[in-house]
Amino acid sequence: MNVLGIGTIFSRGLGIAAWEEALRTGWQKPADTGYLVNLDTVADRTLLKKIRRADKLSKMAVLAAADALADSGIGEGVRKSLGIILATAFGAHVITFSFLDDVLDYGEANVSPTTFSNSVHNAAASYVSSALDIQGPTLTVTQFRFSFQAALQLAKCWLEQGRCDYLLVGAVDQYGDVLGYVSDQKLTTAQDGVIRPFTFTPTCQVPGEGAVFFLMGNEPAGNGYCVVEAVHVNGDPDQDKRVDVNIIDADGMLPDESVYRASLAPGIPVAAYAPLYGSMMTGSAFNLAAAALMLKHQTHYATPVQDNPHGLLLVRETRPADIRSVRCISCNCHGEKAVMYMGKL
Amino acid sequence: MKETKILITGLGAVSAAGTGLAETLATFENRKRNADTVSLFATALTNPVFQVQGIPSEYHLDGRRTLSLALMAVDQALDDAGLSDLSTFRVGVCMGTTVASQLNDLEFYRSYRERGTAPMTSVDRFLKGNLAEYIARRINARGPALTVVNACSSGTDALGIGLSWLKGDLCDIVIAGGADELNHVPYCGFASLGIMNPALCAPFDRNRKGLNLGEGAGVLVIEKEAVARQRGKAEDLFLAGYGSMGDAYHLTAPSPDGVGLKASLRAALDEAGIAPEDVSFVNAHGTGTLDNDLVEGKVLAETFGPHLNMLSTKGFTGHTLGAAGGLEAVFTAAGLREGWIPASAGFENRDEAIPLAPVREKTTVTGRYAISTSLAFGGNNAAIVIGREVGR
Repeated sequence: MNVLGIGTIFSRGLGIAAWEEALRTGWQKPADTGYLVNLDTVADRTLLKKIRRADKLSKMAVLAAADALADSGIGEGVRKSLGIILATAFGAHVITFSFLDDVLDYGEANVSPTTFSNSVHNAAASYVSSALDIQGPTLTVTQFRFSFQAALQLAKCWLEQGRCDYLLVGAVDQYGDVLGYVSDQKLTTAQDGVIRPFTFTPTCQVPGEGAVFFLMGNEPAGNGYCVVEAVHVNGDPDQDKRVDVNIIDADGMLPDESVYRASLAPGIPVAAYAPLYGSMMTGSAFNLAAAALMLKHQTHYATPVQDNPHGLLLVRETRPADIRSVRCISCNCHGEKAVMYMGKL
Repeated sequence: MKETKILITGLGAVSAAGTGLAETLATFENRKRNADTVSLFATALTNPVFQVQGIPSEYHLDGRRTLSLALMAVDQALDDAGLSDLSTFRVGVCMGTTVASQLNDLEFYRSYRERGTAPMTSVDRFLKGNLAEYIARRINARGPALTVVNACSSGTDALGIGLSWLKGDLCDIVIAGGADELNHVPYCGFASLGIMNPALCAPFDRNRKGLNLGEGAGVLVIEKEAVARQRGKAEDLFLAGYGSMGDAYHLTAPSPDGVGLKASLRAALDEAGIAPEDVSFVNAHGTGTLDNDLVEGKVLAETFGPHLNMLSTKGFTGHTLGAAGGLEAVFTAAGLREGWIPASAGFENRDEAIPLAPVREKTTVTGRYAISTSLAFGGNNAAIVIGREVGR
C-alpha cells in the first residue's frame, strides 16, 4: 500500500506544504488554549461554502481529504472505486454537546434536527463523501489511541482484497471546552505551551486538533511518497527490524510515557513531532505524514523540542539523509503498542 | 489458490424480541411485538420503543447498558460456537455502535454547564467503554479490535471488516456484530427529524409513519473453516460476501435512485460468487420511514425481481441503530438454518409505489443464500451475503 497524496490541516495552516514548513521551521508557541485550527485563514472558501452547515470537525476532515486528493493528482475517474476510512478518537463531541444544550435550553421536543444530524459519529466522513462525490465504501472507526493505526491496517486489507482501488484514510479530532475540562482533570497541561516528548515522566500535554488524510493505492501512481509496509496493532512482531528513524507519538497524554523509551533500540535516531500539532489521540497521522515526507525528500526533520534527559539519539537537525525505512510508534495507557512501518518507494 | 471459507459458528441475539435466539424465534413465530413507552429515562415524548427486559444481574454494568447488552450476546455466541478458551487462537473483535461512542451523558453535561465542574464517573465509563476494546479485554482476545461508528450500518460493516481480517490473515476467529442501548439523546434526535412513529412501526406498509427505536446486541462468531473444522465444528453456515458503498448524496436521506445500495449489493454478490437468483430471501433494513422503505424496496425489486422473499425484522426489535446489522445478520443466519422466516411485523397494506412487498406470514425458505442490508445516515449502504452449505 502506497501513500500517493497527503492533506493536512492543523494550527499552522492547510496543506502538506504547511506541515512540511512546520517540520522545517520548528516549534512555535501556540495560542493560549492550544494548537487549534482557525478556519477563517483558509483562503479558498469554495468547499467551506459547499458544507456551510457542517461542524468544525467535518470541515477539517473535508478540507484535509480534498487536499490529499488534489495532492495525489489522481483524476476524477476514480471516484466510484475510491473509499473513505475516517478514524477519530472523540468524534463529533463538540456538536453533541451543542445538541445537549438544545435539550437543556429548549426541551426535548424543540431540538435542532440539523444539530442532531451533525452529531452522528459518521457525519464527517459523510461530508467528505458528498462534498468530493466519492461513492466507494465510507467508514468511520474509533479506537481511542489506536484509531488511526486500526484504520490503516484495515485499509491495507481492503486494497489487497480489491474492495476498492484507492482509499482516503484519515484522522480527525477537534478540541472543545468540555474535552479541555476533562484533560485538565486527568492530565497535566504545560503552562509554557511546550510538549516535551522525551521527558517521559512526568508528562505535560497541550491540546491539539486537526485532520490528516492520505490517498492510498496499491500502484505507485500519483504523487507517491512512500510505501506502508506493515501496520501492527496491540504488539509489534517486527520490533527487531532495523529502521533508519523512529518517530514516537509521545505527547503528554499518558501520565507516564516511559513505555516509549523501552520501545527504542539504541543507535536508531528518534524524532517526535507532537510539539508541532499538539496532544491528540489520533496524532499518529501527523507522524505518518512526517515519515512520508522524510522518505520522499530524503530529509531528516529536526525534532522540534529537544529536551533530552535520558540521552537518546535524537534527530537534531534538518538535513539531507539516506532514509530507507521509518517506524512510527504509538503507546496507549495499557502499555500496548501500535506500530506503522514505512519504506522508500 | 483456494480462497479461505469463513464459517459462522456462533450466534448471539439480545433484543426486545428475546434475550436469546430461541426466545427470539418463538417471539417471531407468535408475532408478538414487545413495544412500550420508554422507562429507562424520563421523557415527555411518547413514541413507543422496543426496550430489552430482564438483563441478568451478572451482566449489569452501572451506566454502561450497551456493554451489558453486548456481553450477553457475546457470551451466547461464544457458547454457541463452543469457545470457552480463546488463548490458543488469534481472535479479533469488531463491533458496531452509536451510543457507546459518544460522551453524551446529559447529567454530566448539565453539571459542567451549571457549575463548571462535573464528576468524572461518566467520563471514566466512556474512556474505558470503547465497545470492541472492552469486549476484547473481557474475553482476552489479542487480535485486532475495532469499534465501527458508521451509524445504522455499523453492525453490518463490522461483520464485513471481520471478513476482511480473516481473509487477510490478521486473525483466525472474529467476534463481530453490533450493540446499542436506548438513550435519551438519539430518542430526542430522531423525534426532531420527524421520523419516529407515534404508534408501532410498519415497514414497507403504505401507511408507514416512521420508525420505533429499539436496543439490543447481535453478535456472530466467524472463523476460518480450517480452524473451525480442526476444533470439531460441523457448522454449515458461512459469511460469503460483503459490500459497502456510499451514496455521496445527503447527511440523512438515502439517494432516491439507491445508487449506493445497488452497488453494495452487487459487490456483496460478486464476493460471494453468486447471482441475484441464487438468493433465497433478503432481511431488509426496512425501518418503516417513507424514504428508506421506498428506496430500498425499489432497489431490491430491481435487483432480485418482484417475487423476492423479503422481510424487515424491525417490527419485532425496533431500529436498534448500531446493533441492527448484527441482530439482522443473526436473524438471517437463523432463517437459513431453520428454513423459515417470520412475517414482516407491521406490514398490512401494499404500497403501490414499491414494486415488491414483504412476506405477510411465516414463510418456508429453501435456498442456499440470504442477504441482510443496512442503510445508514451519511449515505453509507452495506450488504452481507450469508450462505448455508447444503448436504453436509
